Amino acid sequence: MQEIVTALANGSIYALMALAIGIIYSTTQIINFAHGSVIMIGAMTSYWLLSIFHMNYFTAILLAVLINIILSMVIYKVSVEKLGDLTQNSSWIVTLFGAGIILDNTARILFGTEPKAYPFLFDGHVISIFGTKIMIHEMMMILVAVIIGVLYQIVIQKTNFGRAVRAVSFRPDTARIMGIRSNRIVLMCFAISGAVAAISGALIAPITFASYTMTYSVGIKAFAAALIGGLGNTKGAFIGGISLGLIEGIASMIVPGGLKDAISFLIMIIVIIVLPGGILSAKLFTKGELKTEKI
Amino acid sequence: MPNSLLKANSKQKKYSRIFTMFCTVSLLVSFVLPLFAGDYYMRIISLIFIYMILAIGYNISAGFSGITSFAFAAHYGVGAYVSAVAITRYNMPFLIGLLAGALASGLVGLVVSLPASKVKHHYLALISIGLLEIVQQILNEWQWFTGGAGGMYIPSWNIFNIMLNNFQKYYFILIIMLFCVALQRNLRKSRWGRDLIAIKNNEIAAAGVGINFSKYRIAGYFLSSMLAGLAGSVYASFSGYLSPDTFNFEFTVFILLMAVLGGEGTLSGPIIGAVIATFVPMLFNATPDLKQIVFGALLVVLPQVMPAGISGTIKKYFKEIDHNKYIVDQTEQNEFDIQSNFMKDHSEMEDILVVKGLTKRFGGVTAVDGLDMTIKRGTVHSLIGPNGAGKSTTVNMITGIDKPSEGSIIFNGKEITGNKIFNLTRKGLSRTYQHVRLFTNLSVVENVAIGGRLFYTYSIFDSIFRTRKMKKEERKSFHEAMEYLKIINLYDKANYDPESLSAGQQKLLELARALYMKPDLLVLDEPCAGLSETETLEFSKIIHKIRNAGISILLIEHHMDLVMEISDYITVIDYGKKIAEGDPASVTTNPVVKTAYLGEGA
Repeated sequence: MQEIVTALANGSIYALMALAIGIIYSTTQIINFAHGSVIMIGAMTSYWLLSIFHMNYFTAILLAVLINIILSMVIYKVSVEKLGDLTQNSSWIVTLFGAGIILDNTARILFGTEPKAYPFLFDGHVISIFGTKIMIHEMMMILVAVIIGVLYQIVIQKTNFGRAVRAVSFRPDTARIMGIRSNRIVLMCFAISGAVAAISGALIAPITFASYTMTYSVGIKAFAAALIGGLGNTKGAFIGGISLGLIEGIASMIVPGGLKDAISFLIMIIVIIVLPGGILSAKLFTKGELKTEKI
Repeated sequence: MPNSLLKANSKQKKYSRIFTMFCTVSLLVSFVLPLFAGDYYMRIISLIFIYMILAIGYNISAGFSGITSFAFAAHYGVGAYVSAVAITRYNMPFLIGLLAGALASGLVGLVVSLPASKVKHHYLALISIGLLEIVQQILNEWQWFTGGAGGMYIPSWNIFNIMLNNFQKYYFILIIMLFCVALQRNLRKSRWGRDLIAIKNNEIAAAGVGINFSKYRIAGYFLSSMLAGLAGSVYASFSGYLSPDTFNFEFTVFILLMAVLGGEGTLSGPIIGAVIATFVPMLFNATPDLKQIVFGALLVVLPQVMPAGISGTIKKYFKEIDHNKYIVDQTEQNEFDIQSNFMKDHSEMEDILVVKGLTKRFGGVTAVDGLDMTIKRGTVHSLIGPNGAGKSTTVNMITGIDKPSEGSIIFNGKEITGNKIFNLTRKGLSRTYQHVRLFTNLSVVENVAIGGRLFYTYSIFDSIFRTRKMKKEERKSFHEAMEYLKIINLYDKANYDPESLSAGQQKLLELARALYMKPDLLVLDEPCAGLSETETLEFSKIIHKIRNAGISILLIEHHMDLVMEISDYITVIDYGKKIAEGDPASVTTNPVVKTAYLGEGA
């Protein structure tokens, strides 16, 4: 029981990270390869604010979110905006990767190489429900992920901004003609993605320890969850994240610790081969065929 | 020969002379260098050679096949460790170890590139990050195999019981490097290289000329990871000591930097990139922390300010050097005749294409609904209808780009329903596209020549060793491509970039490419959209020529004058259903057609 809750909690944070990837992918068709670094920066700055400036949890995370929003916008401005048509020019893969390298190494210099123990929410207080001991922190992880996920869907479906986002992701050129500033929308999406990444980074850091290597250890899982749920599918991100969390939970009981990451990697490859569009693209969930590329 | 070609030729001769001289000098320098350089510099230069092999591997993947991968440090590492284990644990001879390393790395590459058949290439970039992480973990954890974080030692080189000293090592690496340079060049200058570039440029058009792109992409990645593995296994024996830290993220950054600096997709890029990227880190010996940040910054900035890299930027000024050798020595010939160049082994079936009950549903929308259509051999058959009637969808199903939901398509008496487009080209079907799809990284004449790729017979070994057979076939193919350029009046622009042509010329170029595939049935999807009056006229003349050569044509077009003048038979569809068919005269007077085009009561 306890293991299931832990797996669900981890899974919901993976879902949040995958959501952040999906927000960018759905509008631009690009994968933010600096995403792992953005998560890491979110975790490290909030740790810093907590432990060195002794802020309370809420202000620390809020400030980290703000920093990440600015950071993501800068990443977009510096490494993506000037590249032009992103479907033709695949340089964004290298430029975003380069941006990640800069962030990682800056973090290494600023915060040092030692992994830091990140405090749990509510001091790691444990409550007992039906005989199983559950950390409040883990419940908060699930709760926050659900709130953000629902909030995002409401924004996308109901607001003007959401309609603009959907228009841009469907036909960027047409959207531009209709008076939507595609670049602005994409910039906003980067900002939102950065904010979500900060929250997810701060929430998972107590479990993984905060260090500059989070970029890879945690970032890889974000990408795996996004792929399992279907890239750019913001609802699928949750299914992908939670199933990754559960699979990982089960795998950790069977295989030795060192190979835990190899499992998620393997699942990632299998999903791509069997269901390139993610779990939600399976026949079971779709009525009829999806549209192919227009010629 | 036209004037512009003559001018380009003389320039090409001049440039290639300079280029040959430059190559000879650098080759000589690298041959005599060990006599002057001390051990330290010889070591660095040997390392640069190894990096060149690695960079060439990466270039074949990212520059030619269009797969950006972050896993090349991993491929390099796999090659290094496998060869080291083969040599130390299993006492294999050095050369066998070398091969084992390259092969093992190629196999790893094969496994991770398998999804390439299903998804866009940037998925592979994602997978490659995972692979890098996994290999890193395995190298550290799997003590028995790799010696773990402590690393492992490899005995000195031993070829046929001769221990190599530093000099011999240097020359050995130099020779392998030169072999890889030649390999890359010969591949690029043959059908294989052109096919890979075509895939990178435009997947659908590449499939349209018969390239099974997923297979080629996987093969390209296999080759490049094998080269990376080769570089790794050379490195293993060269350095004598391996540690997992050598093959980490920072090394990936270094590989990317080599490619970005030198220029992806160019032949000299990896060489220039390897030289410069090796010396850049030395500037940061005093401040190692800053090094990675500067590398990252270079990766962000360079693709934006200098997308073609150093060698691509230089090449811009010496464009003529790429002038195609095969067309330079062409002599004037008699008037080319399309007809004589077509295979006349038609099974004399009267109906070339029979479509029955063809249906396509997109989600809830039925784009094409139970369409029946028959095209007679040797006729021009037009498919017309208002916008959104389902014309393009029909054509996409016939040419194997979309899969029909229901119905059957019979071509030349054979069932082809659901066949992929790259299989159909071999059966005698070729097409043009509504929106022009040319290969922008190939020259005009290469764009046409790639249409004739079906008729090549030379193997990959012929192209690696540039055999006479390969040269003969290439020459013949390019000469013929020039003839097609003559038909469309682009003869003197053979060496231009296709993007420098006007919209009409691009459409014609696409037609020439489709024609060179020598199809039985040519499918033209709105060939005259966006063309001027005179260009349309020219186009119709060419279509007449093609028809006279005995090729059947399926035409989608909105210029009614053209359609009425050219067609033998017309099918009109609306809302995915056939509403009329017949010869042009009967269709124009059909009241149903009038209503569909002009609205009720017209």
